[in-house]
Amino acid sequence: MNKLVYWPLGICLLFSSCKKEAEKESNLFTLLSPEETGVHFQNTLNSDSELNILEYLYFYNGGGVAAGDINNDGLVDLFFTGNQVPNKLYLNKGNFQFEDISESAGITADGAWSTGVTFADVNGDGLLDIYVCQVAEIGKTPGSNKLYLNLGQNKFKESAEEYRVDFRGYSTHALFFDYDRDGDLDLYLLNHNVKSPEVFAQAEKRTQADPSGDKLFKNLLAEGKKGFVDVTESVGIYSSILGFGLGVAAEDFNGDGWLDLYVSNDFTENDYLYLNNQDGTFREALQELITSTSRYSMGNDAADLNGDGFPEIFTTDMLPEDPEIWMKSVGEDKAEVYQIKERFGYADQYVRNHLQLNRNGKGFSEIALFSEVFASDWSWSPLIFDFDNDGLMDIHVTNGITKRPNDLDFIQYSQDVDAKTPMEELRKKQIDMLPQLKIANFAWRNQGDLRFSNEAKSLGLNQESYSNGSTYADLDNDGDLDLIINNIDQPAFIYQNHSEKSGNHFLRINLESLPTNSFGIGSKVTLFAENRQFAQRISTSRGFQSGTSTTLVYGLGKVEKIDSIEVFWPEGEREIFPGSPSNQSLLLQKGKGRPAAFLPIQGSNQPTFPTIPWKHQEKNEVDFIKREYLAPKSFTQMGPALAVGDVNGDGLEDVYLGGARDQAGVVLLQQKNGEFLEAENPIFQQLAKAEDVVAEFADLNGDGFLDLFVGSGGNENPSGDLYNFDRIFLGDGQGHFRFSMNSLPPIGENTSTVAIADVDQDGDLDLFIGSSVVTGDYGANPKSSLLLNNGRGQFQDMTAYYFGQDVALEMINASRFSDLNGDGKPELILSGDWNALRVFTFENGKAVELSPKGLEFSAGWIQALEIADVDGNGKPDILVGNLGLNSKLKASREKPVWLYHHDFDGNGQADPLIFHHMGEKLVPFATRDDLIRQIPGIKKKHTSYAEYAQISKPEDLFPSEELQKARKLPAYEFRSGVYLQQEDGSFVFVAFPQELQLSPVGALAWEETSKTLALGGNSKDLRVDLGKSRNLSPTLLQWGAGSWDLIPNALSGQITPEIRVIRSISVQGKQYFLGAENNGSIYWIR
Amino acid sequence: MRTFKITLKAFFLVLLAFACQEKKDYSQAISDGRYFHQAQKRITEVIIHDIFSPPVAARIYSYSSLAAYEVAAATDPTHYASLMGQLNGSEPIQVTVPEGIYPPLSALAAYYQVGTALIFSEKMMQEHRDKVFAELKEKGIPDEVFEASLAFGKEIADHVIAYSKKDNYHQSRSFPKYTVVSDAGTWQPTPPAYMEAIEPHWNKIRTFVLDSAAQFKPLPPPPFSTDPNSEFFKLAKEVYEADINATKENKDIAMFWDCNPYKMNVKGHVMFAEKKITPGGHWMSIASIAAAGAGKDWKGTVEALALTGISLNEAFISCWDEKYRSKLIRPETYINQHIDENWVPLLQTPPFPEHTSGHSVASAASAYTLAQLFGDEFHLVDSSEVDYGLPIREFNSFTEAAKEAAISRFYGGIHYRPAIEYGVTQGTQVGELIWKKISTKPDQVAMKK
Repeated sequence: MNKLVYWPLGICLLFSSCKKEAEKESNLFTLLSPEETGVHFQNTLNSDSELNILEYLYFYNGGGVAAGDINNDGLVDLFFTGNQVPNKLYLNKGNFQFEDISESAGITADGAWSTGVTFADVNGDGLLDIYVCQVAEIGKTPGSNKLYLNLGQNKFKESAEEYRVDFRGYSTHALFFDYDRDGDLDLYLLNHNVKSPEVFAQAEKRTQADPSGDKLFKNLLAEGKKGFVDVTESVGIYSSILGFGLGVAAEDFNGDGWLDLYVSNDFTENDYLYLNNQDGTFREALQELITSTSRYSMGNDAADLNGDGFPEIFTTDMLPEDPEIWMKSVGEDKAEVYQIKERFGYADQYVRNHLQLNRNGKGFSEIALFSEVFASDWSWSPLIFDFDNDGLMDIHVTNGITKRPNDLDFIQYSQDVDAKTPMEELRKKQIDMLPQLKIANFAWRNQGDLRFSNEAKSLGLNQESYSNGSTYADLDNDGDLDLIINNIDQPAFIYQNHSEKSGNHFLRINLESLPTNSFGIGSKVTLFAENRQFAQRISTSRGFQSGTSTTLVYGLGKVEKIDSIEVFWPEGEREIFPGSPSNQSLLLQKGKGRPAAFLPIQGSNQPTFPTIPWKHQEKNEVDFIKREYLAPKSFTQMGPALAVGDVNGDGLEDVYLGGARDQAGVVLLQQKNGEFLEAENPIFQQLAKAEDVVAEFADLNGDGFLDLFVGSGGNENPSGDLYNFDRIFLGDGQGHFRFSMNSLPPIGENTSTVAIADVDQDGDLDLFIGSSVVTGDYGANPKSSLLLNNGRGQFQDMTAYYFGQDVALEMINASRFSDLNGDGKPELILSGDWNALRVFTFENGKAVELSPKGLEFSAGWIQALEIADVDGNGKPDILVGNLGLNSKLKASREKPVWLYHHDFDGNGQADPLIFHHMGEKLVPFATRDDLIRQIPGIKKKHTSYAEYAQISKPEDLFPSEELQKARKLPAYEFRSGVYLQQEDGSFVFVAFPQELQLSPVGALAWEETSKTLALGGNSKDLRVDLGKSRNLSPTLLQWGAGSWDLIPNALSGQITPEIRVIRSISVQGKQYFLGAENNGSIYWIR
Repeated sequence: MRTFKITLKAFFLVLLAFACQEKKDYSQAISDGRYFHQAQKRITEVIIHDIFSPPVAARIYSYSSLAAYEVAAATDPTHYASLMGQLNGSEPIQVTVPEGIYPPLSALAAYYQVGTALIFSEKMMQEHRDKVFAELKEKGIPDEVFEASLAFGKEIADHVIAYSKKDNYHQSRSFPKYTVVSDAGTWQPTPPAYMEAIEPHWNKIRTFVLDSAAQFKPLPPPPFSTDPNSEFFKLAKEVYEADINATKENKDIAMFWDCNPYKMNVKGHVMFAEKKITPGGHWMSIASIAAAGAGKDWKGTVEALALTGISLNEAFISCWDEKYRSKLIRPETYINQHIDENWVPLLQTPPFPEHTSGHSVASAASAYTLAQLFGDEFHLVDSSEVDYGLPIREFNSFTEAAKEAAISRFYGGIHYRPAIEYGVTQGTQVGELIWKKISTKPDQVAMKK
């Protein structure tokens, strides 16, 4: 018996020891000790009564590190900045041996507090100079920025004053780039403020320049003069007290060939995206191209992650990854604070890392939640580079703060009343009480398909530390990138990369560009091979307070030969150099390549198209979050309604557009020339009070003319309210409609969808009207209705008769009638939030739920449905628009997301509580603060955030007898896609391509002749801690050979419109799609 | 932690004192109001820890003191009239006082029970109660008397809790949150925490005495204007200048009466809440100090606490009704927008509209009640804030203290003058009504009926 027990244990041991061995060997990176390398730098901090986190808000921001070859010996040297320790310059002597030459080189220990460091040849002598940022008034001696001019022979001379860049203030970092294409390197100086960032100022204040703000210095070298001139005020950059700049990157974000800038700002201020106007000025255009940013944006990096040649942007923030830490740390702004910031004029910001995916220069989709790179705790320096030379760019992020100010127990409960302790001692006590947690940095390896997984452990990068600045460089010239990290109170990390053993190929490239920008800083170098491109840009400022070397290292995977190399020089010239076998070091000299014209990306010069002279104007009188504090989304802005049909029998398809509250609908008649003209319909003006959310043309009274059904919703009026009544308008065949008052029974729910078919097979059209939500009670079961036609366009509510008295159709966002099973009768297909795809057939006056195989786990947040035989097997398939995957909520069959709907505290209002899995725990999505606001009794159960963070199941929150009373609704599947009907009537799900999972899909339309699917979505309705999601362009796709092909259209890359409905329409004999945007325009998708 | 130590110390001292006594005569175990002061102090600590806002704190004080008082009234009906039956929506408590109970222990038990039911950190209360009970046991209260006393205390407490449950508080937790409107002159959230306006529906809480929350509508604030010649602008300018020219005495007064239960300190990414007693907590403490100073026994003490609690509760309901009627912009917002964008008031602006000043209404109402109980001429040595790092202040009357509390909000830069003046009137009206409508004196109750 004993033997039997021990035997498997022995096996386990054997296996685990094997695994350990294997792991060790597979460690791509080895941490070299200071003794091995000679780099003994350690950024030691000493918090005392004079200088500490309460005196200087960035006390724990740490130092930077830059890599550059100062003596052109082919070995990359390192410069570390210290806050309270001297800066150090280490000469690389090869074989990972470094020598501290700071003293002999003239890098003086000036006693000032240093921050960022950047290498650049500012005087065009072919030697890298060093620019060090410092802060004034902090530290032993007042700081001012330093420019160490390289004199050769490893000697430097501090010349900041002489070059007029001896800025005194609070500098974070410097970036050298040639913004005006005159051949020399100009300086963007990133500064931070120190005054009360917690007090919100009007956002317009960013236009008021302040001496402490960011600066742009133009290099006069090309003009034959020495030094720089401050051009901040004339170039269009913000230089105000709102800036808390913690990261700056130069890239060509819009593909016009000119260097733009991205600046990440801490606290309330937006990040800035400056587009280069090509005339020596910039235009800040963040909100035109980006829908949301990190809130406490720290460092950033910009580089091409997906091989399309356009740079992505990664910004870091402070969201913890560990669920337990997450639940006890400061999260998103409370809804009301979020609204205040909006009123002050700030853009959308969320507390998480942001990964901005560049959509061909037209805009960015923010994909960090999809890519699983949104949380890496208190993070500083992100670096995008290829860890293992597999040809896919990975992301490394340094993190850690010596004292964690975002601990909610510290914030709320730490300060006991203490009258006896003197203030100074009290402050020390407060600082001592700040929690400490040392964790490992994050190393996200690219899984392809823009998915990442943190493999810090297996990569050997998981040492615990408080890490700040970081850089990569091929320190031993073996064709892979080694990693260097500046730590607080711990020796700097130097990781040797062993990718050379992987068999993956590489290419190293240096540029030479005489005379003034000798290393070609700012150049973009693209390798072409095997129909792929590998694009990188030389920048000596990356991450946080740090900079990378001027040698580009490309991981090439199995690529053995490069076909050609394109160099796009910062002055604007484009040259093509011949290819080369991989595993080489190349020096490309300007002027030696084949000149080629630069082709900037073209703005789509589509021929003008008939405009639809109507805009949806949303009017929100109810702030849903004030009423339903825990509801995940609002239903107050659901329109516009859009219907298409030939209402005047001229063979041309006309349009109805239904407006929001106080906005009248219109019927637009298509003219022969393709224009649309409004038909007189005064009745719409009279009934403008209702919010129209759905509309459909159909001949409801059997007179041969199209009539109009308009459904109202908006989650503003209570059930049964007059303004919620749906309406039928009877058409006269001329484009005119009259209101048919008694056609519909007075129901008055929040209508979300209407489906029309002859349900009872009596030759007239009947209606199914779905309702999304009970006003003010998200999660409750609203009343949806089956209305039967008496043949004269008058309808009777037959829901109870067909579905039974107690039917629970639940929340319905979309419905369709279609003969799914080929029995010649229409089935009703419906779905909605927390609702599966449900199929009903109608037999003998009863609705019978069919529950076909394959739909059992279809429940999600389905917002749109379309029925079409996509794969051409003769069986209709079900197309589904869902929440998507770019969300904090992650659902699967094994780990569904749950809605518990119940009045947990018996106060008369039901509480919609979402529980989701974090690791193995099933925890509330709402924060403790939000829950307490709605259900104060919870505070009795968990008196601290730390206790709350221990919750692992709903039973830890509520007594089981209360939980038993709750309605529990699962969501298993959040992907949008198609359920393909099989020969046997069962369904198999095929998700849409990944890029269509980046935001909720709210509209689907299938056009049968061209077999094209049009899709649109985005959502501003999600609560703050889910975040608005606007990452989806209106898209056209076609099914081919078992998968979807995306068809480029005029709106590709345009990510912001929130499309509620799409309809196919024929204009002058051609099929197009119309997409209607909430609170916006009507778009042609073609 | 520190208060805990003090309690422990007191515990051991008491143990020492009683250890030598042979005869266990427990009749004087609870004679004066000391145990109630202690229990109230504890409740104050829990209110601070749990971050209850001033109106909610007043509610907690009022029901817990009422429970203790009802034991006094039940066990000594010749001297004390039950308030149950007099207060809005209350039913007279029909109980038979059992034999062999020790009434002050019942009262104390009732106080702890109701207090614990109304706060979150129950453990903090229970630990305190258990320690006090252990101490009392040491004083020789026989087990059967102890049990019976607790049981009776519970009976009364259950009545008061049942009464409290019908005051709409529970329902009000899910009433819509306040929606900020951008109309000029209306309240905006204030730095640094930009908290939402608290308790916008507090006027829907059942009153004890007032016929409605709006019974004493104060005068409205002067019309809003940004015109430098307007009265409103001048009022704001006055607040601003008072701060700029504040004397040390003015500052001391402002700090002494700050009574901010939740002051958020922010330095960059570092934030922490510093907490003090609420205005209600301060006046409950004054009531304790006054009862002790007047040499009241436990019954007289709980009478003072119950009436002060009721006065505070009514004051906050009345005041909050006006706050969300006028929704007036705070001086900090106005001054930042129109006078000096960098100005920060001496006191942190609390998160609710300006008019009228809660401290003024609450202080005036409590002072009226205390003056009725103890006579207005009363040498008050107010040590309520000593534990919170502030000195003792002395007053010659409750009215003087209330007036200083009221004007302190002007010195603190968080109220315009009318909010203070009208607030004092409002609070006095509340106090007067309470004394007109209810009484703890059996003979007067009969007269009022």
